[in-house]
Amino acid sequence: MKFLKTTLIAGLLALTTAVHADSLFDDLGGKDAIARMMTRLVELTSADPRTAHQFEQTKKDRLARLLTDQVCELSGGPCKYRGVNMKKSHIKLGITEAEFNALVEQLQQAMDEEGVPFHTQNRLLALLAPMKRDIVER
Amino acid sequence: MAQSRTTLLFFLTILLIFSSPTTAEENLFGSGKILATPGVIQVEGTAGGGLTPWAVISGYGTNRQIGGSVHHTYVTTNDFTLNATGATVGLYDRLELSFTRQWFDTGSAGERLGLGEGFKFNQDILGAKVKIFGDAVYDQDTWMPQVALGAQYKKADKGAIVRAVGAEDDDDIDVYLAATKILLDKSLVLTGTARLTRANQFGLLGFGGPNGSSRSLQFEGSVAYLLSRHFVLGADYRTKPDNLAFAEEDDAMAAYMVWLPSKHLTVTAAYTDLGKIALQGRQRGFYLSVQLGF
Repeated sequence: MKFLKTTLIAGLLALTTAVHADSLFDDLGGKDAIARMMTRLVELTSADPRTAHQFEQTKKDRLARLLTDQVCELSGGPCKYRGVNMKKSHIKLGITEAEFNALVEQLQQAMDEEGVPFHTQNRLLALLAPMKRDIVER
Repeated sequence: MAQSRTTLLFFLTILLIFSSPTTAEENLFGSGKILATPGVIQVEGTAGGGLTPWAVISGYGTNRQIGGSVHHTYVTTNDFTLNATGATVGLYDRLELSFTRQWFDTGSAGERLGLGEGFKFNQDILGAKVKIFGDAVYDQDTWMPQVALGAQYKKADKGAIVRAVGAEDDDDIDVYLAATKILLDKSLVLTGTARLTRANQFGLLGFGGPNGSSRSLQFEGSVAYLLSRHFVLGADYRTKPDNLAFAEEDDAMAAYMVWLPSKHLTVTAAYTDLGKIALQGRQRGFYLSVQLGF
């Protein structure tokens, strides 16, 4: 009985690892890599004149943590995003498509610096792209 | 006369657009789109692949910006040379206006056809394209493509000659509906375009003829793969009418590599097979297009 249980658990573990192995989360380099990229993204966003004005009131450490959880969860990692939804968190900011795209370019740079392959980057961007509907207001 | 009038109208429109009031906080010419998303300029001067128009709006302007480009395209096949020069303006990622002039040099084939060595068939193409619905870039969670409706007014300059070979007219309007979908997680860009046309060899040999005097429905398709941020590999296929009796007309295809070092420079190199043209056999060759823009 105990043997069966162990086998079952081992089997399940193997299965989850197998599923996990080709997840985007792992291809991005796991949570530490995502955290580094999000910290870098917030740095780039705050320094870029195209986007800096939208982040003047933002606590950078907190934003990087929230983004890490969000990207981690979205890519299939073991995290839970606990921030407010995209619509509420961007309301009345009047974010434009050009600002949204500037952030995409900053994210691409952060991913380049972390060595994330181009096609892996596109898999993440494909998950983030529909958020434009809730973020861009004009 | 008609040519210079359309040209004048085109530049007046541009002038009008550029002098309109702008928002203070945002750069109207800020190139806010993401690299490669406006495609390249196809052979008739509209945003697309090599031969096929895409549903995207030319230039790097977002919904609150204006974009534009100028291009020169050179195609050389077994017997012919085609040069095309043109400009596009993309307004608020909604409306695209374009103008292109094509010079089709018959080279030594001109002599064989009794036209004289280096005889040129030229045409002007004035294009307009409007995005109707969908968003190729952001709608990654649905199958809905971006769809655009376009028209191309084409005017061939050798009216008497194109009529002599059987064409009914030296000018006409092509109308097309293009659907483009970017599958970002696969790094693919897919386009299908349906065109109503009676153009012979894109319009260079006039419009209509003994084998077909009204517009017919033609299909164009395009598959592009994003190799890296700065390189795109693509292929286009395009069916064409076969209206003229003196010479058979085939479908055309192109396989191309695009290099995008920045939003301001795009270089397209292609291998193309335009099929049989004017009794000179199958025309295969190379295509090079250089595009500057914002």
